[in-house]
Amino acid sequence: MKRKLTLTISVLAVCILSFAFTTIQQPKPWPVPEKNAKMANPVKSNAESISAGKALWNLHCASCHGKKGLGDGSKAAQLKTTPQDMTVASFQSQSDGSLYYKISEGRDDMPSFKKKIPDAEDIWNLVNFTRTLKK
Amino acid sequence: MFIVSACLVGCILLLQTAVYAQDTTAVKEITTPVKAKPVKNTFQSVWIIDNQTVMVPIKGTFELDIQHRFGTVTHGYSDFWGLFASSNMRLGASYAPINNLYLGIGIDKYDELWDGSAKYAIIKQTKGKIPVSITYYGDISYDSRNDPTHGIFVHSSDRIFSFNQLIIARKFGEKLSLQVAPSLSHQNSVNGFYVKNDSTGTTIFKEMKHDHFALALSGRYKIGETTAILLNYDQPITEHATKNPNPNLAFGFEFSTSGHTFQLFMGNYTLLNPAQNALFNANSPFSYNSNGTNVKGGQFVIGFNITRLWN
Repeated sequence: MKRKLTLTISVLAVCILSFAFTTIQQPKPWPVPEKNAKMANPVKSNAESISAGKALWNLHCASCHGKKGLGDGSKAAQLKTTPQDMTVASFQSQSDGSLYYKISEGRDDMPSFKKKIPDAEDIWNLVNFTRTLKK
Repeated sequence: MFIVSACLVGCILLLQTAVYAQDTTAVKEITTPVKAKPVKNTFQSVWIIDNQTVMVPIKGTFELDIQHRFGTVTHGYSDFWGLFASSNMRLGASYAPINNLYLGIGIDKYDELWDGSAKYAIIKQTKGKIPVSITYYGDISYDSRNDPTHGIFVHSSDRIFSFNQLIIARKFGEKLSLQVAPSLSHQNSVNGFYVKNDSTGTTIFKEMKHDHFALALSGRYKIGETTAILLNYDQPITEHATKNPNPNLAFGFEFSTSGHTFQLFMGNYTLLNPAQNALFNANSPFSYNSNGTNVKGGQFVIGFNITRLWN
């Protein structure tokens, strides 16, 4: 009886220790200047815009962010910062201007795209597309 | 109690008006027609197999190219369809100092040929205004092989080739782009021999002319977001006395990523220089002579182009 109790407690201890000292992967906060966050999206979110955004997504973004924005692209495992799940409300709640800023400027593993996608309208098309990733 | 309720109701009403105020300050979406912009991404790369496309990347772009052409596939497994045979290779770099202008330099294994190029996007296809994109491409190359006894080159100017091409392309919808590109190649020296050289006069027979016109037809068809089929045909137009070059037929695939473009294909051209390919292509796409027998099917080589762009 005593041995059984000791065994149970040991197993429980090992289980708890196995995820002690770890933190659940939180997306690294990315503050956006207020001026940029407030920038309004001048491009109507219609089929044409979303289609253009989708083409850009597949070429530039899907390799890290995944086809559906889950952060499971083929290169994601090599990154220092895990790409956030873009389908959830905590990502989708940010403004269009905020998304535009992040795509343009980049940070750490994420390249800056303002030169690779030089036309501002194209970045707004990409923003319009990312809205469709919402679950 | 009444005062508290009144204040609460007042707050709610104020909040509501605040919400409406935000909506009215939102920027009106663009519904009025804006100035038409040129069509984008007629091609994904500056190359389409052996030819240039109309594409000129934006100012500040730097490009590196690695191009490879293997041996002919005619020997089958014995040299693994040409992959293990002697091959030709070119390393190139290009830069766009200003918008629409692209300057390049390259070195090619065959003949140790250096080449310098300039490309200028003259007009761009714009919906409702301009039906095609037109780009000029010029290339000068220099055969830098060692020739101390002047057995190959009498003068150093004999080493020079030039190439001028006008590239005209149109994007038909999201998937198909087609291109037509007439070109003029020039070789500074040609082989010749005296037919007559006596007191009555001198006649020299030139094996080829110095100038050579050709026409290239190219097309790209997207079969996925990042994959496309490529097709290219080059037709020589100028007829020479001897050593007429063969046409070129090439077909393959293009795979694009954010920074790289990979083109994998089969074609007849092996020389990795536009003037030399146009003037000297020895591989026929249709049939060839093997020990006196005419063999159908042409001589093709497997090749690839890898391009990387940095902005």
